[in-house]
Amino acid sequence: MAASPTINLRDLVVLIADPSSYLSMIAHGILRGFGTNKVLEVRNSIDVLQTLSAQKIDILLCDSRLPPHGGLSLTRAIRRKVDNENRMMPILIMTSDTREGTIRQSRDAGANMVLAKPMSPASLYDRLAWIALTPRQFVDTPTYFGPDRRFKIEGYPKGVGRRKSDHVIEVAEEAGPALGQDDIDNLFSAARMGKD
Amino acid sequence: MSDTDKPEARIFTVETRFQKLARRAGGIPRDQAIEQAMAQIEEARPGFDDWVGKELDKLADVIKTARPGMPTSDWIDLAGSHSRQVRDVGTTMGFELLTYVADSLCEILDAVAAGAELNMDSITCHLDALYLARQRPYCNMKPDQVPELTSGLRRVVEHVSTSPHEA
Repeated sequence: MAASPTINLRDLVVLIADPSSYLSMIAHGILRGFGTNKVLEVRNSIDVLQTLSAQKIDILLCDSRLPPHGGLSLTRAIRRKVDNENRMMPILIMTSDTREGTIRQSRDAGANMVLAKPMSPASLYDRLAWIALTPRQFVDTPTYFGPDRRFKIEGYPKGVGRRKSDHVIEVAEEAGPALGQDDIDNLFSAARMGKD
Repeated sequence: MSDTDKPEARIFTVETRFQKLARRAGGIPRDQAIEQAMAQIEEARPGFDDWVGKELDKLADVIKTARPGMPTSDWIDLAGSHSRQVRDVGTTMGFELLTYVADSLCEILDAVAAGAELNMDSITCHLDALYLARQRPYCNMKPDQVPELTSGLRRVVEHVSTSPHEA
């Protein structure tokens, strides 16, 4: 049997964006158990953008229903902002809605992975390990910026951590951004000015 | 569409700081990390009862504002948000009956949001069941230990899901 994968999360800055303080606290606790020692928590997209403007974040864990416009719009905004130093950071979307359409929309927004709620330590560790150990190229087109969507989960090297429910999904046509460039710019400038 | 139709696509390799640092030696092996995370969740358990009580009270307040015929957008998102949080945290914390009932309520709210007829009794009976599932000894029970309750809720969900709203 292959050895379990190991990731080192010490000194990585993790940003949890979830409207629920209790769910955030649980996610924070799970990450602490993984050895993470730098975790920030915010409750809405504006605070995410403010945090990203102020410091380097290594990975974003973002709820799909993050107020006010949802985690997918936020992901698009982050990916499309050319002068954003966190533009290529890994983004993990947390969602209770695991319908294929939602997962496809998350991927098309530029998320690296989707984590189904309820969250378990094993599912979170596996996704963090996949992101760390299975690098994906980035794609830059007029309608999409983000990790290459043409990938399939084959588990860790040697197949560790693969679940029966993991499957390949077809690459969808780009649906286009939900926010225009002006909206994105407005969001970032609101964040810089500290407006909610 | 062939690759030649998309000459403007640029594909490049990125190694983020997350990937660099996460691959360093000295990390915590998966099994140990999960064990430690479970211990952290256990530490949060004492606060769960207080939290879920507040969530249910907020849910009850939202439901009080709902009436058949009023626009569902006024309250259903909020009710759905509280229900999902109870379901999601309940699962992570291992409260199976509470999770079952909350999931059942989520199904009803989703169905109503999608156009099913709003029957307030179907929602209030779930709220009552949530309050019950929070109490001892029910909080430590599994759904199959209270088959009458779970099958009753199942019937309610099936009825709501098949009742289209008549405008």
